[in-house]
Amino acid sequence: MDVRLSEEQEILRKSARDFLAEKCPKTLVREMEKDERGYPPGLWQEVAGLGWTGIVFPEEYGGSGMSFLDMAVLLEEMGRACLPGPFFSTVVLGGLTILEAGSQAQKEQYLPQIAGGKAIFTLALTEASGRYEAASVKTAARADKDGYILNGTKLFVPDGHVADYFICVARTDEKSQGEDGLSVFIVDARSPGLSHTVLKTIARDKQCEVVFKNVKVPRENLVGEVNRGWPVIRKTLEMAAIAKCCEMVGGMQAVLDMTVPYVKERVQFDVPIGVFQAIQHHCVNMLMDVEGARVIAYEAAWRLSQGLPYAAESAIAKAWVSDAYQRVVALGTQAHGGVSIIEDHDMPLYYRRAKAAELAFGDGRFHRRTVARELGFKVA
Amino acid sequence: MDFELNPEEKAFQKEVREFLDRECNEHVVAETESMQGEGPYSKELIRKMGAAGLLAPRWPVEYGGRGLGFVAETIKVEEINSHQAPFPLDGVEIGNALLVCGTEEQKQRFLPGIARGEIEFALGYTEPDAGSDVASVQLHAEDSGDHFVLNGQKIYNTEAHFSDYHWLLTRTDSSEGKKHKGLTMLMVDLTSPGITIRPLVTMAGLRTNEVFYEDVKVPKENMVGEKNGGWKVIMSALYGGMGGGSSGASIKLLRQLADYLLKERPDILKANAWIPDALAEIYIRFRVNDLLGMKASSMSDLGLSTPYDGPLSHLFGAETRRDFFRTAMQILGPYGQLAEGSKHTPLRGVFLREYLDTPRWTIVHGSSEIQRLVIATRGLGLPRK
Repeated sequence: MDVRLSEEQEILRKSARDFLAEKCPKTLVREMEKDERGYPPGLWQEVAGLGWTGIVFPEEYGGSGMSFLDMAVLLEEMGRACLPGPFFSTVVLGGLTILEAGSQAQKEQYLPQIAGGKAIFTLALTEASGRYEAASVKTAARADKDGYILNGTKLFVPDGHVADYFICVARTDEKSQGEDGLSVFIVDARSPGLSHTVLKTIARDKQCEVVFKNVKVPRENLVGEVNRGWPVIRKTLEMAAIAKCCEMVGGMQAVLDMTVPYVKERVQFDVPIGVFQAIQHHCVNMLMDVEGARVIAYEAAWRLSQGLPYAAESAIAKAWVSDAYQRVVALGTQAHGGVSIIEDHDMPLYYRRAKAAELAFGDGRFHRRTVARELGFKVA
Repeated sequence: MDFELNPEEKAFQKEVREFLDRECNEHVVAETESMQGEGPYSKELIRKMGAAGLLAPRWPVEYGGRGLGFVAETIKVEEINSHQAPFPLDGVEIGNALLVCGTEEQKQRFLPGIARGEIEFALGYTEPDAGSDVASVQLHAEDSGDHFVLNGQKIYNTEAHFSDYHWLLTRTDSSEGKKHKGLTMLMVDLTSPGITIRPLVTMAGLRTNEVFYEDVKVPKENMVGEKNGGWKVIMSALYGGMGGGSSGASIKLLRQLADYLLKERPDILKANAWIPDALAEIYIRFRVNDLLGMKASSMSDLGLSTPYDGPLSHLFGAETRRDFFRTAMQILGPYGQLAEGSKHTPLRGVFLREYLDTPRWTIVHGSSEIQRLVIATRGLGLPRK
């Protein structure tokens, strides 16, 4: 048992932190919240140039063949810096799905584009129910002579406004329900019949409604087997939940790191407020959540990297870290007092992102159902 | 990064587990559940564990240990708890302090005996007016040349009635301003004349003690560290590295409760849709607790522990345990109040017993408030004033 990062990972972390401190100050983060695209293309290209977009992909596909755990280190730093941009959508949701389930031809075609920062991917899964569940997928994919024709509406599609490709989940068997009869497609965003609307969100990220109206998808864009798409997406969601946890840990650490120095300096009643036990307890409760979130998130990331089963750990981590981040931003805000609820303070950046991250890929209650099933309970 | 036990630790875990599977019989479990302290079966098991070299894995081989680390220590505690075996915790903790502060003669005299399960120690810190504020102890030790003469009182010394020695924090200098600098640590033979041990019983039925000292003579060779240097000894025992806790025994109980509900009380589950979510939440907290505990232990083994890893693990474990038994009692509803031996009692009354015992865990060995104070000031560097 050794929870430390390796020497190489420490170097990676430090270089990522230094890079983001220089290139992604909070002024940029705020500016991008108002920007139509939501991120500066130049910074995205720099991120790709550093090799981050290729970190988990094998060298034969233009990546650097490192592990999910190595990427976790980057994700933590991105969460700390509130880095805007389509990294998560492209690399985690798009790239890992293709790496895990794509055909040889698909890997050869798409992974080098992802690794090189040349193509933006995202996942179009969720629909009107807002749930990350197979049963809620109504989008239909009807087979025709050249491939499939997609009709339906997807919601909460991250970075859908700039995506070059969608990983779209649709029902290929119209009589099916639940997990059967779903298939996964790579859909070119330039296809006729595709339209999107950017939603206004709490984190001011770019989640979209994406409408598929008679969108033609060639047969070779099917990922995995027809009607057997759910296991592919379930795996994507399990990986995404772990990745999101690592990102959240970075945000939590940032909130703790701004709160502790603040309570040492802020004077009320002629003493630094950190003297007061009420404030001390808030800070310790935050530390406890940061430390707990870190070990549970990294254990899951480590298991994934080691090729061990990780489905249960993914659910455990996402359930815990989602709620822990909420507690940390609440206590951080409380310890800061009024200053931290003003719009131009850094705290609201984390406060708003904590909620978005909690909701992404299932919140605590959603994932506790998985854990409850493991304990033997029959929950829907 | 590596979240698995190393091969040596795995082998040790297997060894302890198999030993206790074999040796921890129903008589021992009955003694543990009685909460009266170690009885004859428990004593016998501890000696057998000692003979098998399982009691002090972290100590050097020359003192009867295995030369393993805090992780092995955590593994041992986990297996003892899961088997409901007796817990010779204090002896080992005290041994840890002796390793740092004892003389070579003291180490030779006590450590192998503790490791063999032949010498047991009881902690003797708390007094009626020295609880969280340990340094305000008043039990007076008068220097009389080659020995001290002790007068005063200790309280909540839970192991005193079945132990051989008292690890006793005494006051050797009462002058003003010497609060932390007037303390001396002594090892006292509990059969010495002038010691009276009286039982106190908690609401859970746990036996603890108050211990009275009246002109008790203690030879100077039983002093640990320097005269008036007792605070240093305590600090080295508490902060010289600290292993973390584990939740194996609690997870076992949680699974028992889940199975009981599924098999015998589906009506409770049906009427309370919140139960799976609540138990899943507790289960997740136990998993986090195990990782925090293992982190504390492994960082101590690497010599890299922060001042907060140990207290944080202690705090997280105690509060999770408390919340588990509160939740379990809510789940069982009116049946939860039924004690062992009554008609209709679920699961032999174990949840009632544990529920009544939970306040102890957020009080003993540093209350949750003290843990938070330590973490805030030593860990996060927050100001004291």
